[in-house]
Amino acid sequence: MTNSSSSKKHGQDQPELSGPTPKSHRTKMGKSEDTDKKSHKWTVYVRGASNEDLGAIVKRAVFQLHSSFNNPTRVVESPPFELSEAGWGEFEIVITLHFHSDVCDKPLNLYHHLKLYPEDENSSMSTKKPVVVELYDEIVFPDPSEAFLSRVQNHPAVNVPRLPPGVTLPPPIPVEDASKRRKGDTKDHPLSQWFTNFSEADELLQLAAARQQVQAHIAKLRRQISLIDGQHHQYFKSSSDQ
Amino acid sequence: MDAKDILGLPKNSFPALEKKSRPHKESHRKPDGISREVYALTGGVPPLMPSLDSSQLKKKPPSHEKITWQWLPFTNSARKDNLQLYHWVRVVNGVPPTGDYSFAKYNKMWTKEETNQLFELCERFDLRFIIIADRFPSSRTVEELKDRYYSVSRAILIARASSTGDVATHPLVKEPYNVSQEIERKRALSMVLSQTRQQERRDEEVLVEAKRIAELRMPAKAVEESQLAPSNAGAEVTGRAVPGETATPSNAQLPSITFPDNASTLASLRILRVYLRTYALDQMVQATSSSAGPRTVKRIEQTLLDLGVNLKPRVPTKAVCAEHLELRKEMLTLLNLQKQVQYKEAEGSPFRDGSYNEAPGTPKDWTFIPDTMNFGGERVSKKDQKRKGHGHPSSSAHKRPRKKASEF
Repeated sequence: MTNSSSSKKHGQDQPELSGPTPKSHRTKMGKSEDTDKKSHKWTVYVRGASNEDLGAIVKRAVFQLHSSFNNPTRVVESPPFELSEAGWGEFEIVITLHFHSDVCDKPLNLYHHLKLYPEDENSSMSTKKPVVVELYDEIVFPDPSEAFLSRVQNHPAVNVPRLPPGVTLPPPIPVEDASKRRKGDTKDHPLSQWFTNFSEADELLQLAAARQQVQAHIAKLRRQISLIDGQHHQYFKSSSDQ
Repeated sequence: MDAKDILGLPKNSFPALEKKSRPHKESHRKPDGISREVYALTGGVPPLMPSLDSSQLKKKPPSHEKITWQWLPFTNSARKDNLQLYHWVRVVNGVPPTGDYSFAKYNKMWTKEETNQLFELCERFDLRFIIIADRFPSSRTVEELKDRYYSVSRAILIARASSTGDVATHPLVKEPYNVSQEIERKRALSMVLSQTRQQERRDEEVLVEAKRIAELRMPAKAVEESQLAPSNAGAEVTGRAVPGETATPSNAQLPSITFPDNASTLASLRILRVYLRTYALDQMVQATSSSAGPRTVKRIEQTLLDLGVNLKPRVPTKAVCAEHLELRKEMLTLLNLQKQVQYKEAEGSPFRDGSYNEAPGTPKDWTFIPDTMNFGGERVSKKDQKRKGHGHPSSSAHKRPRKKASEF
């Protein structure tokens, strides 16, 4: 299953809003009593990277399934943005995220290849452990409106970086009573045990180490070049003297 | 002053009364002359005026003559050979039809008489073919006349020339008149002339669009242009993209615009209003690699893998993407420096041994660790440099094109 996390974060130099949302799917082997056609139950979803509620940013998600499905265009109007189905085929699902009007009037497309069968052909699929593919990504809003900013400045799914000096945001408008709203986050999702924990720390560490090595090598080469240049100069000078 | 008087038509030949009563009558009557079902095929309603008088349909032509059909040979005056073909001929009273083959007249034949007339007119009107065409007795198009005149003149020229070489440079011989091309050209011109305003506008739009696409595909051509006017290109992109976007809302489907400059890439991303970070990283990577060849890009990717870095970051946060991009840029710098060292080394060898019989070869795909310089006085040929290890274990790596992280 792939989930893509997109984090909404506000950039500093160029004010941008971005947020993590993983999109993913999981497949579970259906029982043998199921018909041949519906051998695998699967779920495709878009969730916050740390299971935050994306409803403040995403208005609705449209999952475009393979044409062989009835009503292949499935619209999910409220979080959690997920869709469960059953089938036997792997195909590309186009997920269109529509945002609230103050966020962005243009929708965003995500592409997700549904994976039902495990990589390792030898390991048999169990009805207990699903095949999970999750992909992390971030949705970036390079030019967010003030209304959007003020609304989400304290939202857990949104990264709002430091604002340029002199810019202040109006205080957030109090939202409706939280208890009235349906729970939109995926913290207690039935599938949460399979969710991947995405941490940027490992990757950053890796990159930093690599950069260090490359930089050291660059310095070495630069020294070498200056050495050679000095040599050439010397030889050239001596030969012209002759 | 009745119009009918002028035309000489009889008056009241079709009084309105008659017309009105006829369709009324027809609907109650079954048609004669054709069966009911056939009549129903027409819709069952008779036309106001019958196109064919149904009483005429069953009549046969008057046969006071004896008509037979015979399989006879014929010749065609339009043909140069004497091919004789056969066809059915309608023979009336035993007399076969006279005259040439009916289709022969469609062959564009030039008689000597016609050609003489043409040349006469050409002289008289100073080769003004428009006038000549007007005055020409039999109707010929301007292109036909021109073709005849030029081909005859050409033939005469070639025939009168003492040798083919003399006339080879004559414009008539070098570039013969091409009738079909001329006709085509004039047709195209008239089309352009008669184009309506709307068509003109549409054509312009298409050309502008094509030009824009061509420009987007060659960003490397003008680095300055893109740096000077990223906003212009950006504005253009917005302008075109917006109408497209409402129809198919998807920014990921925009053609990947590779700018040789990071700032322009950022500008183009801003225009999107919303995008995925993986997409943005992809664009930036392409922008930095656009200056490098595909082989260099492959080497960078291989090095990344060797260092244990994912080609596409698994957790693409802003920080991770920034680091990834910087790493790629640094690798590019590293490779360029390596090349530089190779060049300098190659330059260095003739200086060092004082012999000029070693020409610096082309830099090969050397491994990451560059050879240490040989400062000794001994003569070292280029080949030796490759083979000798200089005590470094890396010498064996020369043969392997891949770089190993362990060589760091």
